[in-house]
Amino acid sequence: MIDTELYRELIDLISYMTTSARGLIEEPQLYGPFRLIEGVSRICGFLEKREGVDSEFLSQLRERIDQGKFSVMFDVEAFTTMLDEAVLMIARKLKET
Amino acid sequence: MELEKAIMERRSIRQFTDKPVEKEKLQELLEAAIWSPTAGNIQPWVFICVTDPKMVHNIRVVSPGMLWSTSAVICICSDQQKALRAGGKGGAVLSLFDCAMAAQNILLRAFDLGLCSCVIRSFNQAAVRELLDAPEHIHPELLIILGYSDQSPKPPPRNTDILFWEAFGGEGVLK
Repeated sequence: MIDTELYRELIDLISYMTTSARGLIEEPQLYGPFRLIEGVSRICGFLEKREGVDSEFLSQLRERIDQGKFSVMFDVEAFTTMLDEAVLMIARKLKET
Repeated sequence: MELEKAIMERRSIRQFTDKPVEKEKLQELLEAAIWSPTAGNIQPWVFICVTDPKMVHNIRVVSPGMLWSTSAVICICSDQQKALRAGGKGGAVLSLFDCAMAAQNILLRAFDLGLCSCVIRSFNQAAVRELLDAPEHIHPELLIILGYSDQSPKPPPRNTDILFWEAFGGEGVLK
């Protein structure tokens, strides 16, 4: 049974992803990776509050993403570095589990 | 406030404190909007100010460019019926310019009133129109999110090598 708050958050995420998909057809190319990683940040945000998950990992991943995501507007290299680091964090986590 | 100060110091701020924007200030912004110029004085627009928290939330979730919630959103819409009827074939495009000029009036007046703001185009127009119960000929063109903030980001550098005297590629205005 899914709780009401999580359901509401998922509906918001579904809306974010769907409207992003539609908008990205006409938007700048770099908005694509930004929207995807913003979605990841949101998922981490609402999962990390819940029981039975590795909150520390999710929180660290979200913080790294949030710290670097806006660099897409002015420093693509820094944005790419943030994505590379996020990928490595996830890969290391996958090795553990 | 000096106009020059508002032009030079206004920044796009996307995240606000919880302090709500006063209704009187929103009224002033809307009045500022309708004093901007329009092609042929057609005024092919509609401004919808949203402050209901549930509605603001709903607008946010269909607006990928609106990353945080806020207490007030002004939706600037073109009225395509009016634009085409009075403006002819070019009316549709001209109405976009008109909406953009109204947006700048709102942004500068907001800064003057101590508010922070950001213009957003990354939103789903059909979804926003549906949420606002607007008819087909009303096209949401821009959202302006408003609020208070302590942030004062540094301005990104401006390109000055695109300013010319007399002709393209002529003497630079700023050396």
